[in-house]
Formats: sequence, C-alpha cells, structure tokens
Amino acid sequence: MAVFDYAASPRRPGHITVRSRFVALRVNYRVLLFALIASVLLLLLATYAMTLGSYSIPFSGVVKAVVGQGDPERLTVVRTLRLPRVICAILIGAALAMSGSIFQGLVRNPLVSPDVIGISEGAGLFAVFWIVTGFDLALLPAAAFAGAALTAMAIYVLTWKGGISPNRLILVGIGIGAMLRAGTNYLSVRYPVEQVRPAVVWQMGSIYGSDWGDVKLLTGLLLVIAPIAVALTWQLRALQLGDGVARSLGLPLERARLGLIVSACALAAVAVALAGPIGFVALMVPHIARMLAGPLSGSVMIFTGVLGALFLLGADMIAQHALPVSLPVGVVTGAVGAPYFLFLLYRANVRV
Amino acid sequence: MMTNGQSSRLRSEHVSVAYNDQPVVHDLSLSIPDGTITTILGPNGCGKSTLLKSLARVLRPAGGSVILDGQLIHHLPTREVARRLGLLSQQATAPEGITVEDLVRRGRYPHQSLLQPPTRRDLEAVEKALALTGMTELRNHPVDHLSGGQRQRAWIAMILAQETPLLLLDEPTTFLDIAHQIEVIDLIKRLNAEEGRTIVMVLHDVNEAARASHKIVALKDGRILREGTPAEVLEPSLLAELYGVECDVFPHPEHGYPFCVPRSALPLDGEPPRADDTGIGIRQLRAGYGQVMVLKDISLDLPAGAITAIIGPNACGKSTLLRTCARLLKPVGGKVTLGGQEVHRGSHRAFARRLALLSQGPTAPPGFVVEDLVASGRYPHQGLLRQWRLADEAAVEAALSRCGLEDLRLRDVETLSGGQRQRAWFGMALAQDTPVLLLDEPTTFLDMAAQIGLLDLARALNRREGRTVVMILHDLNLAARYADHLVVMKGGEVAAAGPPAVVLSPDLLRAVFGIEATVIRDPRTGAPLILPNETPEAKPTPAPPMESLELAAV
Repeated sequence: MAVFDYAASPRRPGHITVRSRFVALRVNYRVLLFALIASVLLLLLATYAMTLGSYSIPFSGVVKAVVGQGDPERLTVVRTLRLPRVICAILIGAALAMSGSIFQGLVRNPLVSPDVIGISEGAGLFAVFWIVTGFDLALLPAAAFAGAALTAMAIYVLTWKGGISPNRLILVGIGIGAMLRAGTNYLSVRYPVEQVRPAVVWQMGSIYGSDWGDVKLLTGLLLVIAPIAVALTWQLRALQLGDGVARSLGLPLERARLGLIVSACALAAVAVALAGPIGFVALMVPHIARMLAGPLSGSVMIFTGVLGALFLLGADMIAQHALPVSLPVGVVTGAVGAPYFLFLLYRANVRV
Repeated sequence: MMTNGQSSRLRSEHVSVAYNDQPVVHDLSLSIPDGTITTILGPNGCGKSTLLKSLARVLRPAGGSVILDGQLIHHLPTREVARRLGLLSQQATAPEGITVEDLVRRGRYPHQSLLQPPTRRDLEAVEKALALTGMTELRNHPVDHLSGGQRQRAWIAMILAQETPLLLLDEPTTFLDIAHQIEVIDLIKRLNAEEGRTIVMVLHDVNEAARASHKIVALKDGRILREGTPAEVLEPSLLAELYGVECDVFPHPEHGYPFCVPRSALPLDGEPPRADDTGIGIRQLRAGYGQVMVLKDISLDLPAGAITAIIGPNACGKSTLLRTCARLLKPVGGKVTLGGQEVHRGSHRAFARRLALLSQGPTAPPGFVVEDLVASGRYPHQGLLRQWRLADEAAVEAALSRCGLEDLRLRDVETLSGGQRQRAWFGMALAQDTPVLLLDEPTTFLDMAAQIGLLDLARALNRREGRTVVMILHDLNLAARYADHLVVMKGGEVAAAGPPAVVLSPDLLRAVFGIEATVIRDPRTGAPLILPNETPEAKPTPAPPMESLELAAV
C-alpha cells in the first residue's frame, strides 16, 4: 500500500497533488525542478571554485580531496581552506535571499531588504565597536548578531501602534538605520586609523577566512530557521492579500507577522554576523526568483534560497580570482549585481 | 431636439486606439454637438474612457484624427488645447494638504506664464468657479478632509476655473451616494443650461445618463451601437444588445425621461431553506477609528437565512458596521453576536469558517492567478501540512464554476477586467465555504450586466443553500429588489429597518438622502422603484454657446 497518494493536478499545469493521512499538499513541481537544477549547478560551481587559486587543483582532484583522498597538501588546501569558504558563501547567500524574500512579502513592497531597513546597520555598529575597542575577534559574530537582533527588536517596538503597519516599519527602519550609521561613522573617526581599518573592511562584507567553526554555526542555525521560513510562506501568502483580507480569512495577523519578522531577522542576522553586511543579495535575488518562478510559495522560497547561494558563490569567486587583487565579496555584489539587476528589470519589463 | 446640421467644435474621425496591440476603439467617428450634454455609455471595457481620453488629447490614436475647431488636436500645443477643453479624470487625487482654493487655482495654469502673478482675470475665474460649485465656504478646507461629493465638486471647480467651453468628465459620480450624484449631475446641467458649456461625460449608470443628457452614445467593443436622444437610445432591445441583460424601460411618471430596470435572470423561487444559527445580533454597538466614533449605539438584528441590504449616504457608517460584524474592527462598546456566540471572542480561524467578507477594492499580489486567489479562501480550513485535501479542491472547483471563472483560472488577477476581478474575489469568499457572507459594495465598479450577475449569484446562494447574505449596496433600486430586509443608516445610526416595500418611502428618502423622488412599484417584481425627480431649476435645455468663452479661447 502506498504511503503517499500523488497525482498530477489535471487543471493546473506544473503542479502535483500529494495526499496521505497526515499530509495533503499541492506542490509546484516545476519550481522544485528549477531548484533542483540550480542545486546541481551550485554543486558544479562549488567544485570548480575549489580548483581555483594560487595552488591550482584539477576538478577530479577536488572531488577526491573532499571525500578524503589525495596527498596531504591537497587535503589541507581543499578541506581546511577552500571548502569552508565555499560552504559559507552558499549558506550566507541562501540566508540573505530568503530573508529578503520574507521582508518583501511582509511589507508588500519589493524595494525592501534587511540592509534597507537597518538590520545590517545594527550588526555593523556592534561589530565596528567590537573591532575598534579591541575585544576578542572570535566573538565578533556574536556581537554582530546581538546588534542585528537588538535593532530588529527596536524597529518592531517603535513600529508597534496597536499593530504593525508595513509602511511605518519601513520608515522606522530607515530612520534607525541612519542613526546607527551615524554611530558607526562616529566610531570610525574617534579611534586611531590602524584600529579602524579592519572595521572598514568588515563593513564591506567579506567571507575571507571562514573556517569550520563558522560552517558549524551557520549550518546549525540555518537547519532550524530555514525550514520555519519555508513553512511560514503559507501564512505569508495569506498576508500578502492585505491585512483586511488576511484577517477575514482567520489569520492571526500580529502573531503571523511577528513569526515572519523574527525568522527574517534571524536569517539576516546570521548572515551579517559571519560575513558583514553584503549588499544587494537580499534585495535582488528574490526579484530574480519571482521573475523566473512566479509568486511566492514554499517552493519559490526554496528556489530563492538556492539562487541566493548560487549568486553569492559566483560573486565570491569573482571577488577572489577575477582581479589581480582579491576584493571583499560585498564590493562585487554591488558592482556586478546591481547593473545586472537593472538590466533584468529593463528586459523583463516587470512592474515593481 | 438634435439636428444633424448643428455645429460641432469637437469631433473624431475614424479614430482607432489600441493598448499593446489590443484594439480598444475601432474606426470611430463622432461629433459632439455644441452647447449640449453628451454621455457615452457602455459595458465595462467597451472603450468609453479610452474614447474620452483620445478626445481630450491625452491618448494618441493609432489611426484617424480628433478635430478641435477644425484643427487636428495633436497638432495643437497642450496649453492651447487646455484653454478650450477641460478634462476631469477618473479618481483624481490631490496632493496631500492642499486646500480647495489652491486646487482650483491650478486650473488657471494654461492661462498663466512662469513669472506673471495671478491676474484679476485669474482671481475672478477662481471665484466664479467656487461660487458655481458652491465651494466658496469650503475654500480653505484641505481637499483630503472633504466628503466624496464635496471633493468631486472641488475637482469640477478646478476645471471650471480653466474656463473652457468644452468639459470632458470621466465618471464624475462613481464614488458618490445618490444625493451627491444628483447634486453633481444638477451642477453639470446648470453649467450647460446657464453658461452654454458643451459637456461630454462617461457615465456608469444608465438612469443617470437618461436624466442628464441631450445625447447618448452607446458604445460596445469600441464601436458605436447607437447615438441619439435618451428616448431613442434607451429602449429594451438596444440595452439587451449593449449590456447583454434584459431590461424593462418605464417613462418617469412625472418627468417623462426613460427609466431602465435590468431584469434578474433568476426567478424568485419561494422561501430559502431554514438556517437558524446564522442570525447576526447587534446590541448597543459603538465603534469607530481612534477618537472618532462612527457607530453610535446601534441595536439591530440581521435575520438568518435572508438577504439584508444596508444603504445610506456616504460616510454614514455602513462599512464600519460591516467591518465590525466581520471582526475586522473591535467595538468600543456593546457587542455583536453570530448565532448567539459573541463575534469578537474565540479563535479567528473558527470564525472565518462561519463568516466570509468580500471587502472593497482589495489587491492581489503580483503574479497571483485566479485559482491561487480562490484557493486562498481555504486558509481557515487548512493546516500547515494539510493544505489541499479533497474537500479543499472540491470547494475551490465549486467556487470557480459558480462564479464562471473556469476559463479564467490561469489568468493573472491583475490582467482581469473590473467585473472579472470582482468575480474572482467573490470566488475566494465562496471557497471559504461559510454559512454567512458579507459583501461590502460588491457592485461598485461593475456594469449593469455584471451587477445583475453578481447579485443573482448572491440570491442563488441564499435561496438554494440558505446562506445568510448581508451586503452594502450603493444603488437603491438594486437594494430594493434583491433584499428581503433593508437597513437604512444615517450619521452612524439606524434610520429604518424592515422589508423594502415598507421602509422605502419618499419621506424616508428625503430625510436620509435629502433627495426628492417618486416611489412606484415595479410592475414585474412588485419591489419598490425609486425614480429621482427633476430639480426644477436644472431642466436640460440646450443653451446657445457661450460667446465670452469663445472669445477667451481664440
């Protein structure tokens, strides 16, 4: 006896219905297929990324080294230096893209992302403070996370007025972001240049020097947050119809919104904590995902994550290898990503 | 009344307009007789507004030409056109905080130049426009604080200040209640009669057009079906062809202009099945927004298993009442019960399985197709892992077929026409599968056929399945015909409630809406019919064209 009863939905192309005792879902398999294809591309790109560098390794050599075969030198280069960085790029890209997707759906405004509403600035202020005052750099991610989380809480509390109005959330976020940036600038001129310099580099957003500790932290957190984010798209879809309609559909508005804000902030905070504020990924990747795959749903959220990973990994490869000097990845996401994004908007003629 | 030899400053010759290769107006030739009121009528999407916009030089036709005073309008400079022709667009919005006088002064723009201070002539024109529209007292009020009728008058004052002999108005009465509608139409008639202005307007409501116009142009699929006097155009066979709805046409017993009543396609068949636990009880209800109390101590029963219509002038608290019943608004005092249970207690989801609301003007997220929207109605029945059970699929299919949406199921909601979009949202409320349906002005943007279609569907849901329906309606005659129970509201209080035949009387209409009307019985259905009376000073008689304005324009 089959545990799952599944069938193609006759009247809705591209969808498949899965039903069993506990589950009854209709899934957009086309989008999941897109996500699968993007994942395969991601795997190939990741492997290729690990062949590059001053110590060049053939493709097959990388594959062997990852599973623990080959000479010790190669093993060290691949497993200690390159693999953690690649995995970090993938996870951070996914987290940023999903966070942006939730924020854009939540406020029904496609021009919003965690870096626009001040979450990244909060992480930035704390991190810069941490660096210039010479605290233990091992705890830098924790400080940045605390900054992002506190900022998110402050925005939420200041926006609350018997409920959360999406437009007020954006305005409050922009205001708080400006304040925090002023604080960061103050710290940058207040302290000696040699202490400020690493802080400035951190603020550009970089995944240089990621290690297995970072990977473990990221994986652990994302394993918890990402599935919640995908599950919450069910409520997000109802919320996107507008507050009045969502309420008359029986959605507990403020609870749903709180859940979504917390998960989106957590995703952004995790990413910013480990890599610094990387611009544009959270704003742009959700757009590209929607252009390719249609309106937000659980499948589209997964696809958005994979696309974000692909994008940040590509950007990091360019940052690291394309120019004689290696750059922070945040420089590349802005310099390459933004024009490409404008081009896409122009080409696809989408309404924003 | 109309002669073919009459002069005409504005006309179109073989005009064709297309949006994205979709033809909207086909090879259309039309002359606007000077000094008259011409109304363009037609179903949603027939190209009425498009035609008006190309007459006003806002849209450039793909073929043919628009001729103003013997010249191609697109060869004339914009300012020159704006001195001869004023256009009031649909749903114009004023900048925040601007006062009435400020808005009206902007109408002088085409007569001014950059560094020149307002001349005496400008000031006079503004004063005259304010006086004509009765806005002199309100000149220092911010436009956003005005009522719908006042706001529309302020906009009309602005294009009056433009001092153009030709006025083009796109649905000037759509958002207004009947008193304000009559007020605006009377103003338009007065402008024509006293000042000889030529007026072209697009209207939604056939009966309003009959009352207001000298000439009616019936437009369907971008072509003229017929043009002539109201009596020539508004007759049953043409209305059937124009809107696809059978109509009865009566002459007004006192004033003679034709009055059309669309016939329901659904015969009234007996009593609905009994439904006991779906009555809505409202007790000492007070509710509002912030400090402003909109509902002042309302007690009312909305009967189970019946169709209730709520009517009343703009801003009387109709929507607030409905939103409070639908749990979107918390009462400040008193309570609302549904089948004996208090509405504002307990889980939102459980409540959403008992009562669905079709709200006003909702928007779907980009990319949502009709089926996505209808399926959203299943939210209160779903769980995180159980979103598409057989029951969900069946309810969505049933809602799609009831609302005639099967062929549109994969269409993007944003690409639908107004009528189709309203059906899609109604489909969502139906998929919610609730015994009680609340509809907030479900017919506002719809043409006659779509209105009848939607109300017939609501009636079928009531008569065949015993669902309780409560709706706010704008059109008093539709409310009188479709409702079993009528609630009349004024100023946040209930002015009257009961069966339409008992409640609706000339006295009530005067007291609540401030209008003079004759109430007769519809010979076919027996329901009361409200025929607004002619206001004596605004009889439509074509006046000679205004000489002074002719001079000003040249």
